[in-house]
Amino acid sequence: MIVPYSHVLLLAVLLFLMGAVCAVSRRNLIMILIGVEIMLNASGLAFIGASLHWQKLDGQVFFLFILAVAASEVAVGLALLVYSHRRTRSVDSNDYSLLKG
Amino acid sequence: MKTVIFLLLFFPLLGAFLHAAVGRRLPRRGVEIIACASVFGSLLMAIVAFVIGGQKTYVLTLLPWIDVNDFSAAMSVYYNRLAAMMALMVTFVSFLIHLYSVSFMREDEGYVRYFCYMNLFVFAMLIITLADNLVFLYLGWEGVGFCSYALIGFWYRDIGNAIAGRKAFYLTRIGDVAFGIAIGLFFVTFKELSIFYINAHAVSLGAGMATVLGLLLLWAAAGKSAQLPLVVWLPDAMAGPTPVSALIHAATMVTAGVYLLMRMFPVILESSVALFIIAFVGAVTSFYAACSALAQKDIKRILAYSTISQVSYMFLGVGAGDIIGSMFHLLTHAFFKALLFLGAGCVIQALHEEHDIFQMGNLKDRLPAVYWLFLAGALSLGALPLTGGFFSKDRILLATLSHPELSYKLLWGLAALTALLTPLYTFRLFFVAFLPRPGRRDREIRPIPKLMVWVLWPLALLSLFGGFLSLPAIWSGGEWLSKYLASVPGTVSLNIPPSLEWGMEIGSGLAAVAILILAYFLYYSTPFSFRAFWEKLLFTGFYLDWFYQKMIVLPYEGIAKFLWLKMDEGSLNEGIDQTGNLLPIFSEGLRQWTTGRLSTYLKMLLLGFTAILCALVVGWYYF
Repeated sequence: MIVPYSHVLLLAVLLFLMGAVCAVSRRNLIMILIGVEIMLNASGLAFIGASLHWQKLDGQVFFLFILAVAASEVAVGLALLVYSHRRTRSVDSNDYSLLKG
Repeated sequence: MKTVIFLLLFFPLLGAFLHAAVGRRLPRRGVEIIACASVFGSLLMAIVAFVIGGQKTYVLTLLPWIDVNDFSAAMSVYYNRLAAMMALMVTFVSFLIHLYSVSFMREDEGYVRYFCYMNLFVFAMLIITLADNLVFLYLGWEGVGFCSYALIGFWYRDIGNAIAGRKAFYLTRIGDVAFGIAIGLFFVTFKELSIFYINAHAVSLGAGMATVLGLLLLWAAAGKSAQLPLVVWLPDAMAGPTPVSALIHAATMVTAGVYLLMRMFPVILESSVALFIIAFVGAVTSFYAACSALAQKDIKRILAYSTISQVSYMFLGVGAGDIIGSMFHLLTHAFFKALLFLGAGCVIQALHEEHDIFQMGNLKDRLPAVYWLFLAGALSLGALPLTGGFFSKDRILLATLSHPELSYKLLWGLAALTALLTPLYTFRLFFVAFLPRPGRRDREIRPIPKLMVWVLWPLALLSLFGGFLSLPAIWSGGEWLSKYLASVPGTVSLNIPPSLEWGMEIGSGLAAVAILILAYFLYYSTPFSFRAFWEKLLFTGFYLDWFYQKMIVLPYEGIAKFLWLKMDEGSLNEGIDQTGNLLPIFSEGLRQWTTGRLSTYLKMLLLGFTAILCALVVGWYYF
């Protein structure tokens, strides 16, 4: 492996944090979904790197699962989004405050 | 034999079940037929059992019941001669009372409930009569308690009746606790709960254990048989319909206690202390009740106190070691007391529910049949010579007098004094209630059904001639009952010199006649009464109810009120309320976090995960 394992992990951590910041700080629901996708892929990258490093296939299998989960999550999430948009005419997360105590 | 005994027990239960299940859909006549037929079936079975097995002893297991490890309680039956006599008496008297009830309850709407409880009552009493296993016996014991509660408070719409039922239930329950403890002790001692086994091995009991068991059994029997100090429920139990009173007093319930003592007599026989205390309780209670009966005004209360007094004689007989005499008295008492109560029921109905004997009078011409039949019962209760009560009571007095210990002579004195009071209160009732008195307007009479009077005839004959069951040898009688019961465990034959026996019989006979004449002069034209203080004292039964009210009920109520208002409401409830009030103070702070904004939640989620990860990392490195 040309790239050192630590670099791969560092990249994964950076991507994960960026995704997290995106998910937390943006108000647009689509951007939050994108943030979550980035976080998922960051963890996938860490799995692939680990798989190469330890010379085991488990990590790649995990990533396949994560792909499947991510795909279905996006499908469900976007469908929810479309439905909610129809009801509230808004994609701003602050407009969804029914649970406020 | 097994089938016969099974049917003997099963018929009344079936009757009760039918009433409960389909009684409401049957016509009235059908319910009455079922009620009487089931008890009559029982009576037939008791006769069959007596004919084919009356000479032998059977221990039969009817049904398995509880079986855990080394503890087993089966529905088993111990049929011996004592049980044979008792079963015959219970079914016979109950059958007559059921017949009587058909007429007595003719205008009552609750007849299905009434007959259901009556049949169940007979069933429970038959369990007590026959059971071998003590736990099975306890089932009947509690069943009798329940049925008496339900029947005493039968007219529950009147609050007083319901209270009387509750009182009977509570007081008998106090006795039942002792019985429960006794059963436990029996099991610990013998590893076995069969009466047959326990009686056979009673000799192996130590004196101390035998005393404890004997006293526990006495306490249990005192609850059921209304002896001191648990006496107060029986006079109040008159709130129920009159046939119920007759059933409780004559055939079931009240005799159950003393029957238990007879049944387990070998155990009691091991302890002379227990025997003496039983005799003592009997003598004192009989005197107490006879005195109280002297001042009562309610016809049924007089009879109730007389029952207490007569059952006490049976206790005295058991205490003196003569259970044959006790059983003899139990049988004659059952006949004359059923007769008296049923007769009183006729009078009460004829006079429009009048209970006060001073409001009655001049019934000789207007209710002649009841008059003569009631007289027969009164003669037997008063132990006038040659009636059933005369022989059985004298036998108990003789057994007490001939007991070798001196202390028994004192008890005999008390019992003999009671024997003088008995005809006095009996004929006070009779003269005041039945004879005409000048200067008072008679109440009008309502006709009573013929059946109610017919039922009294066999009872009257048995009351008058019940003595022939066991006519003493000096009357050249066969002493059939004594000989028949002689093989029952624990019985002893009395060896009394004929001179003493003659003296006793003549003395008590003359005394009874003298008292009868005295009663005539005291109560015939102008009823005699004591000075107000004594009258009140006797009327209230020596203030025993008042005493219990002050000493037990009120303190108990006080404690209960304290626990309720101060402990439960005050401390526990208030404490929980205050804890509840504290919580919002905490949650007010937490509420701020619930912003309803998605990003806050995500932020918290991430922070939480980070914290967990940090904790894991720290744990990984340092531990």
